[in-house]
Amino acid sequence: MPKTTSPFTRRDFLKTGVAAAAGAASLPLTGRAFISPMQTAKYTRYNVMSPGGQKALQSYAVAVDRMLKLPPTQPQNWFRNAFIHIMDCPHGNWWFYVWHRGFMGFFEETVRNISGDSSFAFPYWDWTRLPEIPTGMFDGPLTPTDLRFEPYTRNFSVFTSFIQPAMMSYWNSLNPAQRVQLNTRGYTSFDLMWNDISGYSPSLKQGVSGNMAYAITCGSRYLSRDNRGFDARTNYAVSQFIIDSGLAPTQFYNPDVSLSFNSAKTPSHNSPAGANSFSILEGYPHNKVHNYIGGVGPIDPGPYGNMTNFLSPVDPIFFLHHSNMDRLWDVWTRKQQARGLPWGPSPADKPAYDGELFLFYVNGRGEYVGTTRAIDVFSMQRFDYKYEPGYGDDLIETTTSAVDDKGSKARIRGVVRANTATLAVPSNSIREHLAEPRGASLVAEISVPHPTDSSPTREFDVLVNAPAGVTTADVNSPYYAGTIAFFGNMSHAHPGAEARFAVPLPKSPQAFQNLGAVNSTVNIRIVPAHGRGRTPIIKSAIVRSV
Amino acid sequence: MFILVETLFYFALAIQAGPGRVVELVLPRDLSANEGVVLEVKLGAIASGAEIEIETKTGRTLGVISPHGIRAGNEAGTYVVPVPPEVIANNRVSVRLIHSFQSRRRAPTNKEVKDIRLKITPR
Repeated sequence: MPKTTSPFTRRDFLKTGVAAAAGAASLPLTGRAFISPMQTAKYTRYNVMSPGGQKALQSYAVAVDRMLKLPPTQPQNWFRNAFIHIMDCPHGNWWFYVWHRGFMGFFEETVRNISGDSSFAFPYWDWTRLPEIPTGMFDGPLTPTDLRFEPYTRNFSVFTSFIQPAMMSYWNSLNPAQRVQLNTRGYTSFDLMWNDISGYSPSLKQGVSGNMAYAITCGSRYLSRDNRGFDARTNYAVSQFIIDSGLAPTQFYNPDVSLSFNSAKTPSHNSPAGANSFSILEGYPHNKVHNYIGGVGPIDPGPYGNMTNFLSPVDPIFFLHHSNMDRLWDVWTRKQQARGLPWGPSPADKPAYDGELFLFYVNGRGEYVGTTRAIDVFSMQRFDYKYEPGYGDDLIETTTSAVDDKGSKARIRGVVRANTATLAVPSNSIREHLAEPRGASLVAEISVPHPTDSSPTREFDVLVNAPAGVTTADVNSPYYAGTIAFFGNMSHAHPGAEARFAVPLPKSPQAFQNLGAVNSTVNIRIVPAHGRGRTPIIKSAIVRSV
Repeated sequence: MFILVETLFYFALAIQAGPGRVVELVLPRDLSANEGVVLEVKLGAIASGAEIEIETKTGRTLGVISPHGIRAGNEAGTYVVPVPPEVIANNRVSVRLIHSFQSRRRAPTNKEVKDIRLKITPR
């Protein structure tokens, strides 16, 4: 599974799609060659606000309604499904994504079967672009505050009478391997597990409202149709800056969590999350969205809505939230593939990761799946789905075998983040460029907006791989690649008009260090020539091998 | 392949005006163009529903750590908080840590926020 060598040769072409953080949401989605191993997948998980997503919500509502009415002795009962989460979900460790992929994948089959919609796939809620609960999720059984939930959740006594006998019976049927995992989780007895439902603290010998996973019907979701938006803090947790930062790590796992896409490596997916390290995406948007929907903050000290505690799958929004988390994992995976980087555990880690056993899943026929290894549910192919593009897809560097329209020359494309064009250039190409005895073999083509009356600076120096503190350069600078200059009356420029300049990359070894990897990062910036004036935003940059 | 992590040191803990504890952190060197900065914040046990807010001294939000999936009484774990580069001045950043719960905002204890580090990461 891990890919450790680049699939690219010097004449392969690599095109980056690094979107400006501030403008990614408005970038067009059409006309891009999205990498996906699942382009032909049978099922599509649509954005919930798209027509496909809205259609899926209708089927989802039908399934929830029917599952609520199933007896609690059936594993496909709505609440029984949520108990899989409380008994087995990993948090704060590197099985977070894969376990939830399996949980959702099997449950998606259940919804498909019970709703009768053979094309059903969970829509995803792209909270970066829609930082509020989608309106459809307040309709009928798609909110746990609906009257349909009252027969089961109107008070704790009712809920206990309804579900506890069936859960006790199930508990007593568990096999030794399952018991070992529950012991690791701290659930050495049924009562200890039930304490997390009731909020009872054995050490305090009293209930703690904030720990109660059960939620009364009317308080099962803090956000409402009239108050469905995030607060400022939750908005920040799902912002482009945070998501981009969470997608940035280039390693599936690193002991230094700042460099790791996944959370901590632990002995078991059931290891208590407490002392672990949370990756950015799990620790931030995942957690904060869960907690805010449950009311953390506004209704402290609880009891909170379902999303805050371990019975979070009782709230149907859970699966749209996790669909988006799973989608971001897919985005990260395709980003890695496009760059020729590993997208799975290292060879040394692979046995431990792949072999972790998940023992509590229920499939679409209502049967216990039995022993499932992490590797069995690692790939989206296992459940045969793909995602409609959403936020983050523009960050993927897409590979293409396209040939330059002027000849069969390598072309490397980058778009801009924070006015720096970033390109992944094969190190071999850079070495050849530096060794080229005549001229440059790598040339940048930089597009910038035409100066206007209000922004009349018309000459700009091009800097390549200059340290952040370098804001000016002269021709003797190792980072200086040339000066681009506009000519003529600036008032004639059309708003938004762009001009493209070809600039040979410098042949200075200082500008190209760390050539040990297959690809090297090349950053291109422009600054006002002569050290004065305003800097326009680079629109795009291409590096050609000529 | 381009691991450029630097664990940094922090100092100058001080109670300042306003709720929370202000911590000044210092980068050991200049950032290069392809590097970013994150905070790593290690929490101890905090109450269910309690959050740790992180903001600059001027009140700009850097994030809210909102533990989820933690059993009662357990430590809440270590979290990574991306830091926008513009809040770093002269290789320094001051952050205010606030324990927020039940509409009360106060400085977290050393048992609640056990460690905070500034790190340089590749972008």
